[in-house]
Amino acid sequence: MNKNEIIDKLKEKNIRAVARLLTLIENEEKEAENILKEIWNFTGKSYIIGITGPPGAGKSTIVDLLSKMAIEKGHKVGVLAVDPTSPFSGGAVLGDRLRMTSSQETGIFIRSVASRGHLGGLAATTRFMINAIEMLDNDLTIVETVGAGQGDVEIVQIADTTIVVEVPGLGDEVQAQKAGILEIGDILVVNKCDRPGSDRLARELKMMLSLGEKKDWMPPIVGTTATNGDGFDFLWKEIKNHKKYLGTDRKAEMRLKRINYELENQVSQKLFTKKMVQIGTNEISKMSKKILERKIDPLTAVEEIIRE
Amino acid sequence: MSKKGKIRVLIAKPGLDGHDRGAKVIARALRDSGMEVIYTGLRQSPEDIVEAAIQEDVHFIGLSILSGAHTHIFPRVVELLNEREASDIKIIAGGIIPDEEIPKWNEIGIEAIFGPGSSTNDIIDYIKGSAN
Ligand code: B12
Ligand SMILES: Nc1nc2c(ncn2[C@@H]2O[C@H](COP(=O)(O)OP(=O)(O)OP(=O)(O)O)[C@@H](O)[C@H]2O)c(=O)[nH]1
Ligand SMILES: [Mg+2]
Repeated sequence: MNKNEIIDKLKEKNIRAVARLLTLIENEEKEAENILKEIWNFTGKSYIIGITGPPGAGKSTIVDLLSKMAIEKGHKVGVLAVDPTSPFSGGAVLGDRLRMTSSQETGIFIRSVASRGHLGGLAATTRFMINAIEMLDNDLTIVETVGAGQGDVEIVQIADTTIVVEVPGLGDEVQAQKAGILEIGDILVVNKCDRPGSDRLARELKMMLSLGEKKDWMPPIVGTTATNGDGFDFLWKEIKNHKKYLGTDRKAEMRLKRINYELENQVSQKLFTKKMVQIGTNEISKMSKKILERKIDPLTAVEEIIRE
Repeated sequence: MSKKGKIRVLIAKPGLDGHDRGAKVIARALRDSGMEVIYTGLRQSPEDIVEAAIQEDVHFIGLSILSGAHTHIFPRVVELLNEREASDIKIIAGGIIPDEEIPKWNEIGIEAIFGPGSSTNDIIDYIKGSAN
């Protein structure tokens, strides 16, 4: 499929075309940029739910149940599930789909994504991949991050509602307090409530929230058992509450802020690359030598290089 | 394939066959050779497999069948890929497939079949060669 074929088929909501565009995006092909430019107007229409939490917490199982519920309620759902790339081989086993078999039957679109070395819990191109899936006219996109550690909070830059999943038995209160990812949750889920320790974990989370600063939206804590569906009606209700809280105004404001931030990032990166190419590595190594020989100080050196 | 492109392979266990060791061994070996492997688990219907392969935009579907059910699963997967205009996705397979049947399966579009004892290096080399 060439560029025009893909664009035509995207407009017919052809699944192969969307899947191929996703590949072009994740491979960072120039072709992907050209297509994205042309379809931009059709994108941005889905509500984005992000799901993050430690490895094995039950994220994929939750995504599966949520998707199925959403579909039964008349929504159209797309899923992006990110798993880590092995730093040794560059390969990956993408296993999230394994847990998504019940929603699979409903004709949902699921794409497994490898992080390909990107840090932060997502892949570098996740944002554009969401846009590509939106060509299928889904009104809901669910994004599952890699099993996240404390620093992996990139999902908040993308999701309208971020759900943080915790499970009992992973560690004590101290660990929970350290976890930066708790602070990003619009909804906190305590999954595996069939296991001992879930009540205690819920109480600890509640305590931590009450000690933190007061916000307009205080994250609710929802207990779930993803293996049998317990708690999911409540979870769905809280997602709807948060969506209502955001409303159109807060959502637009939030998205504007992100676009602003993203644009700033992109522009500064492009400028940086351009300037670096202009300066050239030769100039840098020449200057380094001078610094070593004490012919110039590093501070002046920087000023001189930039001025050139 | 572009610089950043990776070979993507869907490893599937169709039908009621519960022998999943081979599929897992292959999934891990392919990952360790730098490929992206989507493992869909047990009890997948040919329809599930083809739909997943299309959504995931894989280069290969790898079927692992030790139950004897390949006789109806192979033709069905080929047929569904044709229906979806996705016959550029290649099919390879492994498990318990009688040697004398192999030419027949090759002919309908199962590119290569690797039985018990196949070396994972041979399988990796085959996939890398066929992808280019
Ligand atoms: C271990 C085993 C089991 C284990 C399975 C454990 C598990 N989770 O996998 C258990 C004990 C559970 C089991 C149960 C049964 N088994 Co059993 N089992 C075996 C045995 C001894 C070894 C299979 C194995 O794991 N090999 C190791 C792996 C690594 O090898 P492999 O799967 O062949 O994979 C290699 C290649 O085939 C290839 N490959 C495999 N998949 C793929 C995919 C791709 C894409 C590629 C490229 C390559 C590839 O690469 C791998 C590496 O070389 C075989 C006999 C045999 N020697 O094969 C019988 C065998 C497969 N079982 C058999 C039977 C009949 C059964 C049962 C029905 C027995 C019963 N009556 O209850 C049940 C059915 C279970 C079920 N639900 O399906 C028969 C099947 C006969 C047939 N097809 O006509 C066999 C052949 C034994 C026999 N000679 O009768 N079994
Ligand atoms: N007991 C119990 N097990 C669960 C529950 N939810 C999920 N699991 C199991 O936990 C394991 C991991 O579930 P996944 O959904 O794959 O977890 P994940 O967070 O997506 O895992 P990664 O993507 O690998 O980080 C599976 O074996 C699930 O069946 C639950 O509520 N109770
Ligand atoms: Mg998962």
